[in-house]
Amino acid sequence: MSEPLSKIPSGFRYYSANEARARRFVETTAMSIFAGWSYEEIVTPTVDYYSLFEQGMGETEAQRSFRLVDADGRLLAFRPDVTTSIARAAETLFAKRVRPLRLCYSATVFHQQSQSNADWRRELTQIGCELLGKNSTAADMEILAIATELLRGLQLRGSFVITLSDAEILGGIVENLGLNEKARDELRRLVDIRALSELERFLNAYASADEAAAFANLIQLSGKSEIFARARRVITNSRSRAALDRLESLWRIIESLGWSANFEIDLGDVSRLDYYTGLTFKIYVGGLGVRLGSGGRYDNLTAKFGRSEPAVGFVVELDALAELLAKEEQSNLPAQPENVLLASDGNAGAVFREATELRASNRQVRIDGEAE
Amino acid sequence: MTALLTIAIPKGRLETETLELFAAAGFRLDSQRDPRQLACFDEAGRTRFIFVKPSDVPVYVEHGIADCGVVGRDVLFESEADLLQPLSLKIGSCRIAVAAPANLPENGHTMLRVATKYPRIASRFFGERGQPVEIIELSGSVELAPVLGLADCIVDLVETGRTLRENGLSVTEVIAESSAQLVVNRASYQLKATVIAELISALKGVLDEVARASRP
Repeated sequence: MSEPLSKIPSGFRYYSANEARARRFVETTAMSIFAGWSYEEIVTPTVDYYSLFEQGMGETEAQRSFRLVDADGRLLAFRPDVTTSIARAAETLFAKRVRPLRLCYSATVFHQQSQSNADWRRELTQIGCELLGKNSTAADMEILAIATELLRGLQLRGSFVITLSDAEILGGIVENLGLNEKARDELRRLVDIRALSELERFLNAYASADEAAAFANLIQLSGKSEIFARARRVITNSRSRAALDRLESLWRIIESLGWSANFEIDLGDVSRLDYYTGLTFKIYVGGLGVRLGSGGRYDNLTAKFGRSEPAVGFVVELDALAELLAKEEQSNLPAQPENVLLASDGNAGAVFREATELRASNRQVRIDGEAE
Repeated sequence: MTALLTIAIPKGRLETETLELFAAAGFRLDSQRDPRQLACFDEAGRTRFIFVKPSDVPVYVEHGIADCGVVGRDVLFESEADLLQPLSLKIGSCRIAVAAPANLPENGHTMLRVATKYPRIASRFFGERGQPVEIIELSGSVELAPVLGLADCIVDLVETGRTLRENGLSVTEVIAESSAQLVVNRASYQLKATVIAELISALKGVLDEVARASRP
């Protein structure tokens, strides 16, 4: 029995009316903000070699992509992310361009398997920007400032929170404790799901009971500047300390801008750690049960494409944002313009002359009537 | 009334113990509550409880409809839901185990037929040891399957082991210990950080108190 033509594959959908308008609004707002910070748009290939994504994102992430075989037998994939492709272009096609490179995009990505049950979409639209060739607190702050302007610009009803951490904090701890790969993954898993008592038990094999409890407490809660003093009492290795110093100087800038209400330090954020090398952040918005976006510093990615240079960027999920806006029926969604109705049943020539004139002054027209 | 926090409570096996624990932590349900009601507020009106099937708890929490919930680890493993698991609640302890008839030969099974309500747990467990299995998913009375010849063994939750014995089965291997777990939505954990921290610390206080009291 054949499938009815009405059926749409799971994870894909149509968007129309206010949903489509909300999507266009989010994209236009984002791209104009990116342009305002001198980011140039880049369009990457929709299909690329699978090996590119495997190298860039790691095997587990890349395996979630839709794959197909090229005429020459090589494995291709519908892009599961955009950053990998941008990093490759930066070190090959744009290798000779003046640094820093500021690039932005709005693009669909495809996941054959979704990451969580709540994330049902298999076609997602990501908007984001990447700053390549600059490794400084100012570069990290630039990306956070753009993300903040975007979240404010959309005038969402719910408040937003950006949680900050640094991948090197856990990196230093893993090195200091001398954990092998398996133990590192277990430590990361326990921190990631905030399983405090299990984490304490795990750490008891490596540290004193007091140290283990203090560390478990530290990753339990996010907070503001007080986190730094608490963290320094627990974490003493130099690599983690350097990361804490870096994060604190970033925090001081955020505070001086008066933005700290929207930011939190969350040392329990340890996801995608082999990808990020410094700052990591996550974006949450009230009213949305899932993460809206994420970002961070990934200084090792470009090295995989022949040249090594620092990079920092962020991505937000347009679908989730647009859904929220459409649901809230935001008043700042551009209103439908009044259109001028033109009856087409009379003299068609006259009707279209008038329509063309109205269009020349950018009025919206709608041709109506029987004679069509 | 808008609740600060929505908590998903599993109906059935864990329900009473869960509600007692929350009451001890200061999240007390209105005593006038109609037991058929599927959503209600606590006395202070700060917290909304929703009552759902145990296997639906991870679903509500992962989608952020409930900010947090209580769920057995068995259900949590099976759901593979992406949730925070800050606190083990030390109630509803039981084991997820493989059980087989006493006369089941130890080796020589090139293909094992496994009846279970937990297809993912079962397939992961046997997969790790390279044992090929045919998973037969059932939704209840799994113990009957070996008796009637539908399966060679079962993977199921074992509390006392009585039902197993009555059907001539015994535990051959324990896959995992299971108890109730507090799970929290990732976004809620950040957006409602203060209330959730209060909840966790209140529950932890009660659990520590119980642990102290039971110590000789």
